[in-house]
Amino acid sequence: MASYTYTPTPDQGAKASVVAYLVVSCVVLLLMMVFGLLMRLEQSQFTAIGGLWFYKIMTLHGAGMVGIVAIAGAAIMWHFLRQYVELSTGIFVANLVIFLIGVVMILASVLIGDFHAAWTFLFPLPGTSMGMWSQGAAALFMGGLLVIGVGFVLLHLDIARAIIKRYGGLGRGLGWPQLFGPDDGNAPPPAVVASTMVTIVNLVGLVVGASILVMMLVNLYVPTFEIDALLAKGMIYFFGHVFINAVIYMAVIAVYEILPRYTQRPWKSNKVFLASWTASTIMVMFIFPHHLLMDYAFPKWFLIMGHIIGYLNTFPILIVTGYGAMMIVYRSGIRWDMCSRLLFVSLFGWAVGAMPAFIDGTITVNYVMHNTLWVPGHFHTYLLLGMVAMVFGFMYYLVKPDENARDSAIDVAAFWGFVIGTMGFTMSFLYSGKESVPRRYAEHLPEWVPYDRIASYFVILLLASVLVFVFRFLTRLGLAGRDYQRASLARSIAT
Amino acid sequence: MKLTSSHYAARMGFGLGVLYLLLATPVARDWMEASMSRHMLVQMPLLVVIGILASRLLPTHWQNSVLAHLGGAIPFVVVALFASTYWMLPRALDAALNDPVAEVAKFISLPLLVGFPLVLAWRRLTLIGRGFVWTNFISMLAVLGWLYIVAPVRVCNSYLVNDQESAGWYMVIGAVLLFLWWLGTLFVGGGVGPDKPDRNGTGTSLA
Repeated sequence: MASYTYTPTPDQGAKASVVAYLVVSCVVLLLMMVFGLLMRLEQSQFTAIGGLWFYKIMTLHGAGMVGIVAIAGAAIMWHFLRQYVELSTGIFVANLVIFLIGVVMILASVLIGDFHAAWTFLFPLPGTSMGMWSQGAAALFMGGLLVIGVGFVLLHLDIARAIIKRYGGLGRGLGWPQLFGPDDGNAPPPAVVASTMVTIVNLVGLVVGASILVMMLVNLYVPTFEIDALLAKGMIYFFGHVFINAVIYMAVIAVYEILPRYTQRPWKSNKVFLASWTASTIMVMFIFPHHLLMDYAFPKWFLIMGHIIGYLNTFPILIVTGYGAMMIVYRSGIRWDMCSRLLFVSLFGWAVGAMPAFIDGTITVNYVMHNTLWVPGHFHTYLLLGMVAMVFGFMYYLVKPDENARDSAIDVAAFWGFVIGTMGFTMSFLYSGKESVPRRYAEHLPEWVPYDRIASYFVILLLASVLVFVFRFLTRLGLAGRDYQRASLARSIAT
Repeated sequence: MKLTSSHYAARMGFGLGVLYLLLATPVARDWMEASMSRHMLVQMPLLVVIGILASRLLPTHWQNSVLAHLGGAIPFVVVALFASTYWMLPRALDAALNDPVAEVAKFISLPLLVGFPLVLAWRRLTLIGRGFVWTNFISMLAVLGWLYIVAPVRVCNSYLVNDQESAGWYMVIGAVLLFLWWLGTLFVGGGVGPDKPDRNGTGTSLA
């Protein structure tokens, strides 16, 4: 019979490699946010950097953000997962080194080679630049993505190895014996279930991504080897959507692991939890057609599948996690600090950010909304107020001086600045989408400029808040590696 | 009556020898090599499988000693990768059909330089190494198949374009099925390595 009582576990500090991941994440996140601000300033007509630089920055911002949130998510996943299974530090470090090599290749391709075909590198654009960039620049960009993918394949293979060694198979890592049989209370902890899911979907996504990248590289140099553009788009979005979707499933492990330490209530893997993760393991791989709903040449059944699974996949993990968090916090007497605030608000950001995608996943809405700023409104809410908030929550947790340490007024102000800045910034995206402002345009019509200007002010507020978060993390780095109680116990328990 | 391991090895060795000789007969070669798909996807893999099964019949201490003397698992994997890559090249197929020396080289190299080193190396590889070999092989197979499908020219002088196209499709389908199978083995917990003994304790499972 399953028992659901909380068992306190010692609070472990982060290994140097995790700290290295987080430091790289901080620096790159900040840089990418500055790039984002530059784009909004350009659309606001506050600056005039020109189309070429706008699209170069957009390419870097997209590729950089996808890559860096994956690195930050991997750091959270690895930190907690290694407390249950035996992971290889060498492979973890190798992934970071390989990632940085890939980043250098991408930077060189964009900054030196002028490549600016967006991170989605949609076929046949990289190979048909009309003289705007060279063949070598396109190859360097796609090669950089390929290199980054190889690092993540290695990381996931190591995670798969460790989970199989400890639990006996990925099916057991997802808790299938407890899901399909009697719940004996021995299901793997949420961190293991989530890591197993991410490993499965990312291995599939990365192999598909590598295949289309290699084919596009061949086509780049030997164009007579023609690629079906529709197939290429399908494969790119399969890989891209799986990969970016997986980052929040890595980061949410911080919520599963840290919130229970505050409230001393367990977050166990019960049947509903396990069922939602298994369902999402499958659905995450079939949800990508919502990016292709405007491509009428795809078979109708394929698009309908995207529509239906898009609806279904919005909910299982989100509801289970959101409801679970509320049950853990409700009347627990939790003491709010920067970490618990950020983790709790991340679930709000995740829920709110998923809704515009849910709406956009409706075929009739998609026809008019998909190429507007509505979609950046969705993924910026989801990633910034959802995933990135989890990352900052985790960082605050690692460097909290002691369990009773109080946050300074600047930190609290930065928290509200982060929430208000993100909401204002993303709402102006969403409202622009509602007003049919197209996305990926360097220059905006005068009627659209007021929305862009409002967004720019909110981005500045957001950036200032993130600077405080990063400054706090970097100045207290020495604490991150130590083992001590960090979570402030809930009032009912502490007294 | 229960077979002892030496009886099992002798019978298995005899069976493999017969299969090898059968594949080498002119009738079998003509039939297999008449189509690109059968040549690449039946005859060549069968030669590798013969190498794999034959190597597993060798005593474990002998396998260990060869592995130790020749530099460990990684050189063996590299040899297998290069040898298998060579036989994926269209001109290697043409050479095997037109030049008896190349045909003999194929019959020797696929069991000896692909099957044999893979079995020896496999014992020492963890899931990371095995996963690397599988994902590398599967992506290569898929991409090569795709290239065969979309190639604007006949890549082999000895085969027609439609044969090349169907071989390409079989490779892509094979890659997808192999990937699903490999992923399936992870779900049930196979192939974590290293040193995973098979049922007889004499060799290793390739999953």
